[in-house]
Amino acid sequence: MTVAFWILAVLLVASAMFVITAEKPVHSVAGLLAHFFFLAVTYFMLSAEFLAVIQLIVYSGAILMLFVFVIALLSSGVAPFTLGPDRLPKMAAPATLIVAIMLAFVGYGISRAPAIVPVIHGVAAGPVGAAGVFGSVADFGYALFTANLLPFEITAFILMVAVVGVILLAGDHAPYVPTRRRARIVERDMREAIARAGEE
Amino acid sequence: MTLLLAIWLLPLAGAIVNWAFGPQLKRAAGIIGSAAVGLPFIGTLLTWRAATSQAPGIHQHLFSWMPGFDFGLLLDPLSLIWTLIITGVGFLILFYSIGYMWPDPAIARFFAYMNFFVFAMLTLVLSDNFVGLLIGWGLVGLASYFLIGFWFYKPAAVAAARKAFVINVVGDVAMMFAIFMIFAKIGSLSFASVFGNVGALDGWLFWICVFLFIGAAAKSAQIPLHTWLPDAMEGPTPVSALIHAATMVTAGVYLIARCWPLWNASHEAQVLVGTIGGLTALAGALLGMAQWDIKRILAYSTMSQIGYMIMGVGVTAYQAGVAHFFTHAFFKACLFLGAGIVIQKLADEQDIRRMGGMRSRAPVAFWAMFAAVLAISGFPGFAGFFSKDAVVYGALEHGHPWLYAVGIITAGITAYYMFRLFFVTFFGTYRGETAAEHEHEHDPAHAPGWIMAAPVAILGVFSVIAGYAMIGANSAWSRLFAQTFPAENVPSVAISEGWTTAILFVVMAAGIAIAYLRYATPVALANAPARLQLESERMPAPLVKLFYFDDVIDWLFVKPSQALGKFFGSWLDPDVIDGAVRGVVAISVGLANVVRGWQTGLLRSYALIVVLGAAAFAIYYALQGAVR
Amino acid sequence: MHPDLLPVALANYVGLSSVIFVIGVAGVLLRRNPLIMLMSIELMWNAANLLFLAFARAWLNNAGHIFAFLVITVAAAEAAIGLAIVVVVFRTRTNVDVDEVAAMKG
Repeated sequence: MTVAFWILAVLLVASAMFVITAEKPVHSVAGLLAHFFFLAVTYFMLSAEFLAVIQLIVYSGAILMLFVFVIALLSSGVAPFTLGPDRLPKMAAPATLIVAIMLAFVGYGISRAPAIVPVIHGVAAGPVGAAGVFGSVADFGYALFTANLLPFEITAFILMVAVVGVILLAGDHAPYVPTRRRARIVERDMREAIARAGEE
Repeated sequence: MTLLLAIWLLPLAGAIVNWAFGPQLKRAAGIIGSAAVGLPFIGTLLTWRAATSQAPGIHQHLFSWMPGFDFGLLLDPLSLIWTLIITGVGFLILFYSIGYMWPDPAIARFFAYMNFFVFAMLTLVLSDNFVGLLIGWGLVGLASYFLIGFWFYKPAAVAAARKAFVINVVGDVAMMFAIFMIFAKIGSLSFASVFGNVGALDGWLFWICVFLFIGAAAKSAQIPLHTWLPDAMEGPTPVSALIHAATMVTAGVYLIARCWPLWNASHEAQVLVGTIGGLTALAGALLGMAQWDIKRILAYSTMSQIGYMIMGVGVTAYQAGVAHFFTHAFFKACLFLGAGIVIQKLADEQDIRRMGGMRSRAPVAFWAMFAAVLAISGFPGFAGFFSKDAVVYGALEHGHPWLYAVGIITAGITAYYMFRLFFVTFFGTYRGETAAEHEHEHDPAHAPGWIMAAPVAILGVFSVIAGYAMIGANSAWSRLFAQTFPAENVPSVAISEGWTTAILFVVMAAGIAIAYLRYATPVALANAPARLQLESERMPAPLVKLFYFDDVIDWLFVKPSQALGKFFGSWLDPDVIDGAVRGVVAISVGLANVVRGWQTGLLRSYALIVVLGAAAFAIYYALQGAVR
Repeated sequence: MHPDLLPVALANYVGLSSVIFVIGVAGVLLRRNPLIMLMSIELMWNAANLLFLAFARAWLNNAGHIFAFLVITVAAAEAAIGLAIVVVVFRTRTNVDVDEVAAMKG
């Protein structure tokens, strides 16, 4: 078990490093995908089977697809991802240093914390895949829809807000034309206007 | 008593009315102004019996501000005499001013200021405590400033007003020190409680007297604070008559007379005050010999005569000093008003070298001034004779033989220069430009002559009769002051009073004779222009330079102050103070620029700040947990 | 799987999560491509998720799972909005560099 953990740990760190250092964004996406996969495996190790599956479906299945589409959108018809001059050249050292110190402190704090007495709360742990054990679908669902119903509903609301926001921000703001015939008329008028503008 | 309040407040009411409705009143302001002083005079006469019959006179309590600060009015024989002079002579002068200020467009403002002055002077003499006296003291200084600078478009007048006010302030500050010391020792400031406890002042008594005297010297133009008085002649002549001859400059005399318990207790203070008074009398007379401006001669004469008064009250001959004040008010006011008539007749000519022969053209002035000049010289039978005699002899009686000698010498010089003025102005033929006289006599904008002539005549009469109250050992005068001043137990002295009178007569006659020989003999009158010119050229430098007092004060105080002001203006204010302000601005701007530097607009730098904040939190909580 | 407590000590998971978090922060601060920055933020989310689940397993408490679930959901919403913003901002530009979007300077 320890071995599995350490292997996974190395893989996770390596894929994360690859994400942030890759030259092209598509490579980063691929690295991130690998990272999410290794994370899912880690979750399985932590008896969080439902969340491992959710991680794979939602994160690597939906969110990463979003990233891929946006990369495709931004690199079409335009010189892709040419970068300007670096205006914060001396950022690297202080940045990482500070964060590393911060985390060193966190680790120090945790290492100095007293031993945690686990409180067996709810169901006991069991083999993955068994019904009703800790981290199973039934256990998770029960917790979600009883004690945490309000956060669940609010999350739904957040997602709706996100959808509306995306449409407003990046949606097509062309005026609505009800029939196809009128759409053709509008299109012809636009073309003539552009042509006239080009002559002037 | 309400009559006392009316006496005190009527002039203020007159001032307010004249101030507020000046443009509408125009010359009617003169009537209101005169009435506002004349009615109090009648009121004062009505209170005579009540003020003189009981011991502390009429006392009117006004209000109590704090324990030890009770304000009230006191009308006892001393303040009664002063009030009579202020309101009586004041009324005559204001009546005269209706005529004198007739062509002036700001006549209402003049009467407002004069009424204000009368009110302030009454506050000074009627107060029953030191603070009220000080308030009146300051207000008369203010009124003097207003009135000297009445013609404010003349730079000389403004400068003179400023000089007078600044020197007066020096005196005010000294008086305040004295009042502080009195309050510190006694805890109350009303005259009754202070003069009942003179012993409590003890070691500070001499210094209190010194500071009070500095205030008196500033107000009464004693050496070395006298330099403002000649310059104060820039004001209109009635102002010079009322303020700088009869009343305000005598406030110092009043102060010392009022504080007689303090002076009786301190022999050193007596020596100091008497000496300064005597020196001032002598210096004023010497300088009066050298002046050519008629009003300046009278100014130095005032200074000299007040020196006599100060000398009198300083050596504790209070009745004599106050008597000389009483008689001096009449003949000095008469001299000034008469001089005013002459000046107006000659279209504002004030230099006596350009006068002459005014006897026929201003007969009322001639006779009135003749009486006044005889009075001031101490001619037997005239007012000044009795009072001056009393002062000089009082100096000898109280053990100051040198002051006695100074008084006698000064009397001779006084006679000389007053008759010099009289002869040069009124005798001989007119030496001025003839155009001036013609222009003036056909000028229609002048008041009827009797308005100005009547007061002068009345004052001339009083110059003769005012002294009769002091004749004899048990005179009306001494009976008046019997309960106010202590009985004077003086040892008999070598020279009797009779001999003193004779000596004074001799020096006076000598002075008049010398003046006659120089200015009024037929030969002198015939060659007057040339002789006067010669005299001007040969005048000794110290006299011309007024004994260098002005120059010394200028070098000692004015120039350093100006240098200090220049220092502040050229370096301290622009570079240091403004520099500090600019420095604050620079610091703000610098800080703002620093903060502005953080607004890079770059996402990554903002992210860095967020990360730093998070790191700080994490470190803080980690340390907290670790410590626990 | 053994129904034990954690396979390894809790501190190891904390350390791993911290390292991934640091890598995410470094990516946000050091890369200038907005898409990479968003991906680094995703890394940070996931590091936090890992921590939640580790503690949930250590204490056998469901709340960690619930919270990690909510984190995933919110991260999805945020990624959507973030990408929409990136699209809008860089639609008409020639290069995709965060340093060039400095209109709020000063």
